[in-house]
Amino acid sequence: MSPAGDDLAFAGAARQAALVREKRLSPVELVTTYLERIDRFDGRLRAFITVCRESALAEAARAEADAAKGAWRGPLHGIPFAVKDQVDTAGVLTTSGSALLRANVPSADSTVVERLKAAGAILLGKLNLTEFALGGTIRFPYGQPRNPWNPEHDPGGSSSGSGIAAAAALCSATLGEDTGGSVRSPASYCGAVGLRPTWGRVSRHGCFPAAWSMDQIGPLTRTVEDAALVLGIIAGYDVRDPLTSRSAVPDYRGALAGGAKGLRIGVVTELVDGADTQAEVRSAVRDAARGLAGLGASVEDISLPLIPFAGAVFMALCDSEAAGHHKRWLSERADEYDQGTRRRLVAAGLIPAAAIHRAARARALIREQVLAALAKYDLLLAPTSPHPAPAIASHTAPVTSKEDAAARFFGRRSYTTPASLAGVPAISVPCGFTAAGLPIGLQLIGRPLGESSVLAAAHTWEIAAGLSTRRPALTGSA
Amino acid sequence: MADLAPEDVSRLAASLSLPLTGDDAAEIAHRLNAFLDALAALDALPLEQVEPWPTRPEGIA
Repeated sequence: MSPAGDDLAFAGAARQAALVREKRLSPVELVTTYLERIDRFDGRLRAFITVCRESALAEAARAEADAAKGAWRGPLHGIPFAVKDQVDTAGVLTTSGSALLRANVPSADSTVVERLKAAGAILLGKLNLTEFALGGTIRFPYGQPRNPWNPEHDPGGSSSGSGIAAAAALCSATLGEDTGGSVRSPASYCGAVGLRPTWGRVSRHGCFPAAWSMDQIGPLTRTVEDAALVLGIIAGYDVRDPLTSRSAVPDYRGALAGGAKGLRIGVVTELVDGADTQAEVRSAVRDAARGLAGLGASVEDISLPLIPFAGAVFMALCDSEAAGHHKRWLSERADEYDQGTRRRLVAAGLIPAAAIHRAARARALIREQVLAALAKYDLLLAPTSPHPAPAIASHTAPVTSKEDAAARFFGRRSYTTPASLAGVPAISVPCGFTAAGLPIGLQLIGRPLGESSVLAAAHTWEIAAGLSTRRPALTGSA
Repeated sequence: MADLAPEDVSRLAASLSLPLTGDDAAEIAHRLNAFLDALAALDALPLEQVEPWPTRPEGIA
């Protein structure tokens, strides 16, 4: 029997695609299911900036007619997806989460959207984000995104809507963009799966830049299998992004069967046992490490002493790149920025060049330390975040001192930015819940182009833990 | 190095045509001072041992 209602909505993209292929699921029914859920829940959650209602229904009808004729477009035939509003979509508003781009309608699709459509997927809408994917937005111009597990809490960022839509089953699969953790953080806070691929594994053509030397588009989904499915479609060389890798794209879904047996995993003590890591997070992550050992991995602690520098080094490099990119708009249209974004960019614009150069050299040192560890271990294991999703109100409080600024902006970023600074793949997969019912994310970091091992270990853990069957109790109030 | 005051931030921002409104200068001073402290601490690392490549070219082990 085919799933229906909530069970259909929460079924993964891979399962739904199989049902469509077996002609047991209608793409029109699937799109309609998600449109009804968006109508019921998104007035509160604010995952979407734009919903492509009419075009999605028309595409679904076409997919259904093609399916009846046996004309299959690809592995995502008839499957609705949504993308972070940082990614260009032909003829569809693309705001990057900013009022400055409130009328921006690109004439062409980004490469990732083009590839998903070519695989048969249907664009359902565009997803909310922190302004220009930078984080720290105080007032969201397109609505305050909220965590599906507790709407008074932050869904994470910058791919906030992608995390919400995946966790609350508002579409089959989503894309986010991860510069310093912007896919992994919402995955962790929302209880979803988020993969940052190797830098250059996926084309960034048509994606508004946050920081060119670290930006990377990746899937945010409900299951690891779905992340593998989507990555296999969007990865690969693109002549329009000369920084993409020419390496062949492996069969990521096929690699899932590899499991964790025989993998060597290093547990990063600075992140698991660090003073910033809350006890419930430490306990869940240590349990996951023991679980992976029970699944056949060789697991031991490793120290990476440069990791605590990563947050500040990342922020200096990312924000100075962004400040350069935004210089003209900052001078001419400052009042159209959110206050938090504007202050972040202006502060970065005042960092002395010599200090930025020190950060660039420190980045190289951190990268070499991460890569040296990955020469010994197949994977590094850590919490995705030192804490579960914080209350939304904690973001809007004024910064009161330089110590407060360092704690708020550098500390938690040391958990996700080592992979960004090193350009290596990393995934966040749920590994538990706090007593208050908020998700906890486990981060697995792999070798350059080592997504197959990352996905295989995460998939094995996900099945053993059985957490992907838990669903948030959503309310429909606006 | 002494911390920058909001007045210092206002002067620096004006010289670079960067906009400040309301109480921006006070918060930006906190943010900038946090950066300057954190990046000064990097001097304790062997920074001269590495070139500041943003990424390692593919194929180099």
